[in-house]
Amino acid sequence: MTTQPQLPQPTSRKRRVPREIPRFVVLALLALLFLAPIYWMLSTSFKPESDTISLPIQWWPKNFTLQNYTEIFNSPDGNIGRWTLNSVFTSLSYTLLHLLFSVLAAYPLARMRFPGRDAWFWFVISSMMVPGIVTLIPSYIMMINLNWIDSYHALIWPGVSGAFGVFLLRQFFMSIPGELEEAAVLDGANSWQILWRVIVPLSVPVLVTLAVFAFMGSWNNYVWPLFVVHGDLQTLPVGITSFSSRYTTDYGKLMAGTAIASIPVLVAYLIGQRYLEQGLSAGGSKE
Amino acid sequence: MSDMTTKTAVPRKRSRRSSYNTGHPIVPWLYLLPHAIFFLGFIIFPVFYGLYISMHRWDPLLESQPFVGLEFYANLFKAGTPQSEFFWKTFINTAIFTVVSVPLLVGTSITLAVLLFKPIFGRAFFRSIFFMPGILSVSVMGILWKWLFENQSGLVNIILTEYLHLPGIPFLTTEGWAWVPIVLGTVWWTIGFNMTLYLAAMNNISKAIYEAAELDGATAFQQFRFITWPNLSSTTLFVVVTTVLGSFQLFGQPQLITGGGPVRSTQSVIMYITEEAFSNNQFSSAAAMAFMFGLIMLIFTAFQFWLQTRELRGSKK
Repeated sequence: MTTQPQLPQPTSRKRRVPREIPRFVVLALLALLFLAPIYWMLSTSFKPESDTISLPIQWWPKNFTLQNYTEIFNSPDGNIGRWTLNSVFTSLSYTLLHLLFSVLAAYPLARMRFPGRDAWFWFVISSMMVPGIVTLIPSYIMMINLNWIDSYHALIWPGVSGAFGVFLLRQFFMSIPGELEEAAVLDGANSWQILWRVIVPLSVPVLVTLAVFAFMGSWNNYVWPLFVVHGDLQTLPVGITSFSSRYTTDYGKLMAGTAIASIPVLVAYLIGQRYLEQGLSAGGSKE
Repeated sequence: MSDMTTKTAVPRKRSRRSSYNTGHPIVPWLYLLPHAIFFLGFIIFPVFYGLYISMHRWDPLLESQPFVGLEFYANLFKAGTPQSEFFWKTFINTAIFTVVSVPLLVGTSITLAVLLFKPIFGRAFFRSIFFMPGILSVSVMGILWKWLFENQSGLVNIILTEYLHLPGIPFLTTEGWAWVPIVLGTVWWTIGFNMTLYLAAMNNISKAIYEAAELDGATAFQQFRFITWPNLSSTTLFVVVTTVLGSFQLFGQPQLITGGGPVRSTQSVIMYITEEAFSNNQFSSAAAMAFMFGLIMLIFTAFQFWLQTRELRGSKK
């Protein structure tokens, strides 16, 4: 910023305020459109069944009720409490394992010299090119052979070694200055100690990013859990779709279910919001 | 892939200076081992196992799985088989969805990014609002958009009939119209990710260029046309490639919103492959289709990267 553009500032600022108004109005209208579906979901979930399709449109529930929420929790058609626990357990286990495996694998790939290092790295990375549909059916048959259908194993293990975590962490680990490592070596630290006492503490932001991505990815996973687990073992986002076929007309209950299925990812998003958008930007932008 | 090469090329030199081999040469492989076991077992092995399954008649009730070679692949090109009819029909459905949705997804996300790039009151709030739908599960998104577009009681039809006094549209059961909730829902659901990528790329464009253009009297549109758009070309190609690949994998939205109907008009390839496997129990046939479809996707990706490198080479000249 030079001094030149600062000179006409008083006049330009006066002009800029009204110029911003149309842009603000457009953004506000778009934001309303984007929020409307989520608002409609919440609004419907608090209405009794008779009010969900009443005219004129009830933007705010006239007969506010929590009945939909209490009823779906006690529904004979599916145990939404159990589905929630399944989702929490599998998503947390998956996130922890994915983080651990990725940290362990990214460390030598970023900070050690050994034959085959780059070849192995590119082999792992190139697996990201394989579309999920190619492995869906063989993986399903593997689950049958391992007797893992309808078990937590099928939900957790097959995805823990994805390439994305290794890629993200390796890029970050390489940016850590070597001097810190040298100092630790001089103090007599071995590689295991360097990893956990130097590298990992310096990588907290990227580890949080990866954790939020992994948690949300696992929580929202749909195709795989749809086929490998059934009944009480379903995850929450899949479980509520079985409500969808039962309560074809009772949208109050269905919206209560979708609201419950959204809350944990909304919380994860709010916790990781800044990291998440930064991580995404770092992944896509080019220097 | 090519953006990864450019990213890794620079820091690699730095790491060579600072890397240590502490101990035995087996040490690095011990660190790699836990990841490698599950990577080879659950990501690499299934690719080859899938190839094996697609060339044998795999039946859960049979003891042996006779080798049939490329029979299941040939079925996709043999007129008269349900596989050839529905595989290509659903392939065309998926292609139509891709052709319609990708320009919308890219165009709206770049528009939002431009609107949000310069400082404005409530910018962080707006960014969060546009990003938020993307964190929802596809099942939540699908059930919600089905409710919005219900033939009788959906919000959209209530607004159409009661407030605008137009005839209602039975979106979910009319060929053609059934794509509307699927495409709009997908735009709503995925726009935040692409918008964020664009905002990050726009941050990398030098502010001095805009200041110079403003001094020369360039309009906002001219600034976009001659500064923003050309500087975003590599991001646009990245977004287009990832969005096309994402659109090819269409599954949850039509499955939940229309069930693939009416008369398979919104059924996607992946929906048909899973139907063949899990409803018809034709696992080998489904595995062959998955490979065929994976191959088509790979050709498209290669073609897009070829376009990308050609454009980058061209812009340098």
